[in-house]
Amino acid sequence: MVYITSWDEFVERSVQLFRADPDSTRYVMKYRHCDGKLVLKVTDNRECLKFKTDQAQDAKKMEKLNNIFFTLMARGPEADVAEVTGKEHIDAQPTKKGRGRKQ
Amino acid sequence: MEEVRLTLFNDFKLWNPNGLVLLQPDPFLNELTSMFEHSTEKGSVWVTLKRSSLKSKVQKNKMTTAGDAIEYRCLIRATDGKKTISTSVGAKDHQRFQASYATILKAHMTALKKRERKDKKKGAEFDKKEGGAKKPNRV
Repeated sequence: MVYITSWDEFVERSVQLFRADPDSTRYVMKYRHCDGKLVLKVTDNRECLKFKTDQAQDAKKMEKLNNIFFTLMARGPEADVAEVTGKEHIDAQPTKKGRGRKQ
Repeated sequence: MEEVRLTLFNDFKLWNPNGLVLLQPDPFLNELTSMFEHSTEKGSVWVTLKRSSLKSKVQKNKMTTAGDAIEYRCLIRATDGKKTISTSVGAKDHQRFQASYATILKAHMTALKKRERKDKKKGAEFDKKEGGAKKPNRV
């Protein structure tokens, strides 16, 4: 069970894994406050993808992945997660909001 | 051995379909908060997300045969190693849930290390690799 080092790779492969077998794939998060460690796992009981970190910024990234999975699992594997990933919009500039008022 | 297990599991399912405590989303979130609060000194909190119809194989087969659409939900389980709780959200309520869930995680996952924004290195060992003398390393 090798840990994936690239966050983006972890996300991409996890979503692929889920879409290939939505009924078997689960997403597990383990948090240990005493060690300051966060471990994520996505598996279909055949393949296992893992990501571990001790960085606060990864927890922020994880929030997006959580939303992706909530959407995929609640709405279905065909659900569009483009607006959730915001992968293309890494800057997180709210370009969609505030049509009129540019401050 | 396996037959016995299956029987016990099925009996358990009668009063508890998933074999765990299934809560409404809000009580689940409260319990989850409590789990985080009580496992700061030691222990872990696990949260698992899985798609589920919350129906048994038998029920699903019947529905498929009858031409009924099977409604899927996102099943969420949480455990601190001792107690396990669960809840499920559907297409209509997952957004509200995920917002509350995110708030709880943000509030409690505070033991992770914060890093300076300009520093893209993971640790002191990577300093020399980048070679850029943009800012002096203050570690």
